[in-house]
Amino acid sequence: MIQENIANSSPKKSNYRKKNSQIKKIAGILRIILHDYRGQIGSAFIIAMVVCAIFSPWVAPFDPYEQDILNRFASPSLTHLLGTDYLGRDILSRIIYGSRVAAMVSFGSVCFSAIIGVIIGVIGGYKEGRKLDYAIILVFDIVRSFPQLILALALVAVIGPSVRNLILALAFTAFPFYGRLARAETLSVKEEDYVKAAKALGATNIQIIFKHIIPNTLSPVIVTGGMDLATMIMYEASLSFLGLGVRPPTASWGIMLRNGLTYIHASPYMIIWPALTIAIAMIGFSLFAESLRIALNPKERKLHE
Amino acid sequence: MLKYVIKRILWIVPTVLGVLILLFSLTYFLPGDPASVMLGPRATPELIEDLNHRLHLDQPVYTRLGYYILGVLRGDLGESVWSGHKVSSLIVNSLPYTIILAVCSMGLAALVGIFLGVFATIYKESIIDHLVTGISLVGVAVPDFVAACLLLLFFAVHLNLFPVLGAGEAGNIADKIHHLILPVISLAIGWIGYLSRLTRETMLEVLDSDYIRVEKAFGIPAKHIHYKYALKNAVIPIITVIGLGIGKLLGGAVLVEIIFNRPGLGKLVVDAVYARDLPVVQGGILIATLLFVLANLIADISYAYIDPRIQYE
Repeated sequence: MIQENIANSSPKKSNYRKKNSQIKKIAGILRIILHDYRGQIGSAFIIAMVVCAIFSPWVAPFDPYEQDILNRFASPSLTHLLGTDYLGRDILSRIIYGSRVAAMVSFGSVCFSAIIGVIIGVIGGYKEGRKLDYAIILVFDIVRSFPQLILALALVAVIGPSVRNLILALAFTAFPFYGRLARAETLSVKEEDYVKAAKALGATNIQIIFKHIIPNTLSPVIVTGGMDLATMIMYEASLSFLGLGVRPPTASWGIMLRNGLTYIHASPYMIIWPALTIAIAMIGFSLFAESLRIALNPKERKLHE
Repeated sequence: MLKYVIKRILWIVPTVLGVLILLFSLTYFLPGDPASVMLGPRATPELIEDLNHRLHLDQPVYTRLGYYILGVLRGDLGESVWSGHKVSSLIVNSLPYTIILAVCSMGLAALVGIFLGVFATIYKESIIDHLVTGISLVGVAVPDFVAACLLLLFFAVHLNLFPVLGAGEAGNIADKIHHLILPVISLAIGWIGYLSRLTRETMLEVLDSDYIRVEKAFGIPAKHIHYKYALKNAVIPIITVIGLGIGKLLGGAVLVEIIFNRPGLGKLVVDAVYARDLPVVQGGILIATLLFVLANLIADISYAYIDPRIQYE
């Protein structure tokens, strides 16, 4: 009975220990990020944007689609804090609702491209030198040959503009970067002793890939993903600016910028606010990515201490 | 060295083939019948059939792919559906604007960026350093088209200092330069930010190395060290980045061209997308991609030339 209890309790304990140490690691990284001024500013921006995105109906003072033609091109006032656009819609509300699209597209495409890229890259790296590896490298190089914006442009032109298609198109243009990264990491990780030991103990390839290799490739992937969050916001705004992203009347910062350009002589505020928002969002995400990079790299940590 | 170059160039062949296949399949999967889309709603069935036959649309997929690839190899990119001009001549006419924009922007960014980076290194940890770091952060984070819109708003519309649209009168260099200034500045801002940071980081890394310490120990003056030895070695990744940057600009100055209405490659492609002008879209993207690949190739080879250790990776 006692022996059964002991036998039953050890696996549970080791899982708990493993999860506990992982949580401690993540908490440690978060602490480093939040102690750095870059991380503080960046996290503040990200949290603000996510809050705006999720709670838009509560944060925004007006309905972003509500037109008030008599009041168009209004300057900032107490009611319309940032003014109104060419249809009389409140600019502040449209910017808040625009953060929804930006957040969805950037988080969605980064997650997608990272997951697909890492899986394919690790498989290629694991089977290094075989035909599969060369084929995978070739696919990466082919997609990487296209300038990202132009490829995304063409893809969206073919499959139609919508948030979901934007995410898919942008993820397609970005996955080779993660793939190359993951593949390079895999090449070095697979020579490590613990991988060889696992193999000797009879672990299958899939087990090795998921338990040992992928967790060790995550660090540079996360850093790249952080920086990509900012870049994807820019691409979403670019594509929407070109009319190939989100469709109007959905609010998107890119569309607002385009409208502002069309009516540049009527009101400067239609340009200024979306431009500032895009810039500030990107600065915030870049700062966060920077502090993430420092937190995840032991060398950098020493440099910046 | 030669082996590396040949290997690198040979690898381009399957890559470009793949690019062609990908481009071809993009247009292949376009919904709807391409011929009637191109001809518009008033096309008669005979016209559609004729266009189908001319464009080889009634043949199986691999035949069409073959025609496409053969055509590209011969330099024939088809004709624009919208204007009837040859796609290759449309592209050749638009390239100079894009190339001038890319080269000028990168040149300005290189001059200012490298200078700022070296400046920040020399006066490390001073207020100048923090200023440059701040500028570079803003530069990197603000996208080129956002900067373009803001510059357009302030300098062209409100202050009326610069022209809003176009590329300037033909033959009038001063006018052309006048039209170039705002677009070049908006593109250069981002790269100035990136290059100044890169220069600063590389310089700091190089200055930390042993041979620099030896020179300091020998008493060589600091400025001499900075400019003659440190900068020369720090320049290596910077040149690579500049090369890659020109390639990227050649392919991607799309938005700035549209905002300032410059008739370059990017504007050509986007206008063709709006007009559903498939041959121009295909040809434009192909050329932009080829230029990008070429720039990458040159950057890779020069990097291998400067730092031979790369070849053995």
